[in-house]
Amino acid sequence: MNSYVNSIVAALLAAFVLVQPAAAAPDFGDHKSETLTSKAWKAHGSGNAEEALAYVGKCIELYEAEAKKMQEALKELPATEPKEETFKRWALNDVGTCLFIKGEVLLKKGDKQGAKEAFAKLVAGFKWAQCWDEKGWFWKPADAAKQKLVELEFDEKK
Amino acid sequence: MKRNKFARVVLGHLAPLLCAAACNAQEPAKVELQPISPSGWRLQVNGAAFSMHGAGGAEAPGLLEKLKEAGGNCVRTWSVETLEAKVTGGARFIDRAQQLGLMVVPGLWIEHERHGFNYSDPAKVQAQREKVVAAVRRYKHHPAVLVWGLGNEMEGPASPTGSVAVFKEIEELTKLIKQEDPAHPVMSVIAFNAAKVENVQRHCPSLDILGVNSYGGAAGAGEALKRAGWTKPFVVTEFGVRGPWEVPATAWGAPLEPTSHEKARTFYATQRLVTELNEGKEQCLGTFAFVWGWKQERTATWFGMFLPTLEKLSPVDAMTKAWTGQWPAQRCPEIRALTSAAAGQTVKPGQTLTADLDMEQPAGGVCTYRWLVVAESAAPGVGGDAEAVPPAFPELVTQNNSTHCVFTSPAAAGPYRLFVTVQDGKGGAATANFPFRVAP
Repeated sequence: MNSYVNSIVAALLAAFVLVQPAAAAPDFGDHKSETLTSKAWKAHGSGNAEEALAYVGKCIELYEAEAKKMQEALKELPATEPKEETFKRWALNDVGTCLFIKGEVLLKKGDKQGAKEAFAKLVAGFKWAQCWDEKGWFWKPADAAKQKLVELEFDEKK
Repeated sequence: MKRNKFARVVLGHLAPLLCAAACNAQEPAKVELQPISPSGWRLQVNGAAFSMHGAGGAEAPGLLEKLKEAGGNCVRTWSVETLEAKVTGGARFIDRAQQLGLMVVPGLWIEHERHGFNYSDPAKVQAQREKVVAAVRRYKHHPAVLVWGLGNEMEGPASPTGSVAVFKEIEELTKLIKQEDPAHPVMSVIAFNAAKVENVQRHCPSLDILGVNSYGGAAGAGEALKRAGWTKPFVVTEFGVRGPWEVPATAWGAPLEPTSHEKARTFYATQRLVTELNEGKEQCLGTFAFVWGWKQERTATWFGMFLPTLEKLSPVDAMTKAWTGQWPAQRCPEIRALTSAAAGQTVKPGQTLTADLDMEQPAGGVCTYRWLVVAESAAPGVGGDAEAVPPAFPELVTQNNSTHCVFTSPAAAGPYRLFVTVQDGKGGAATANFPFRVAP
């Protein structure tokens, strides 16, 4: 009897799950770090926090170890010209950028603690990540994160 | 009567000489630059360390007093004409600054090539040199003079490496100033771009201090200068809110202006980062917040730290906290959010629209709210050049003076903004705006 009831419940649950409108599953595309980062920016820009977090989460999960290696291989901040040299540190640049996006998304959601953690992780571990601005220059997500951390401190000083 | 006229004429001619004599009788401050570590520098004034807690502007009567009250200790001008401006009580700007215990960085205006000045014209170059030396001669004994501010973004704000002809002339001018007045350091001010530093080093070896105007990148200026090989001291001569060129924009290119509270965060963070936390801080002699006053530049509120009615905005509170460690007794109202379905959107002509404010008012009391539809600036200036004030349409706001606004979109197609100004009646204010576009 119990197993019969359990089967019914399981069947009902399965049916319920099937008729639920499927939440838009993030499309990780080719899973490349640049694809995930670009999709994260776009989702953040259109206010889709959960999707943005899914993309940054995947990028960090797949490429954090490689990014760490690239950061550790640097003795100092490398020159940004020629651009191609900077783009060679793709994992560092994209993981760093994704941590910045994560902080921004969490901040917008009101999760100040989560945002602080993302920004602090970026500053501590990926300080020489660089992000290309289409206006024609590189900027450093870790510098922007540092600024955000002090801005958060400003709000706490009220 | 004739004798009186004669006396007036004689006195009229004598007055500048008497004034010059009086100025010469004053003792200038003893200003020294001291190396304090392999890469660190300190400015000393009359034997004491002096970190520049400065602001640019403060030209309207009452603003020097507000700078002193906020914990500032120096002010920067863009030309020596400002030193003669009549401020509170009819006093000269430079004298009033001294009375308040504020030091002054007099700006010695250097002409810009983009305004048509030709640095290959010997007569014009010579005339400019004479003007600069005359200004130094006139004010060098004034006790309020801290450092000479030679030029402002004269190398070309948009030029990646700056004009070599201008840098070479800066070197000649620096040498002339030092001959005339060896007692005050000379600083020249560029629109910051690390790629210009190589030219400054190569062509301006006599400069004592480099002034950098920087907004979004100000916090990282020290590190960038260090990486570019700059070993002398620097000052952030303009900083504050991110510029219209550094923020996200609408689909039609209208930059999104932060609220006055968001701007305050940036002022505070930049000040702390560049002077206390970031690499290169040991070379930083201080900063000048921009602008201690108000100015039409892209919008009427983008850079101003005050309303024209002299109410302070949140960035003044932020600088007070950064300079003194204490918040002012009366804090400005804070706009948490400005929301509207029209924000950043395209609407129809004559459409009825609404906007709402979420506010916090630390000072208490009753606020007044002024909503205003304004056309977008038609020809934004470059490098802070003067800009025409765009037309406003007060008749389009049908429900005003509350946190809820009802307004009608203009009949003519084009880009606009809805502004809100909140005044707390206690000397504090807050501002915000959003762009919208009208299309048939």
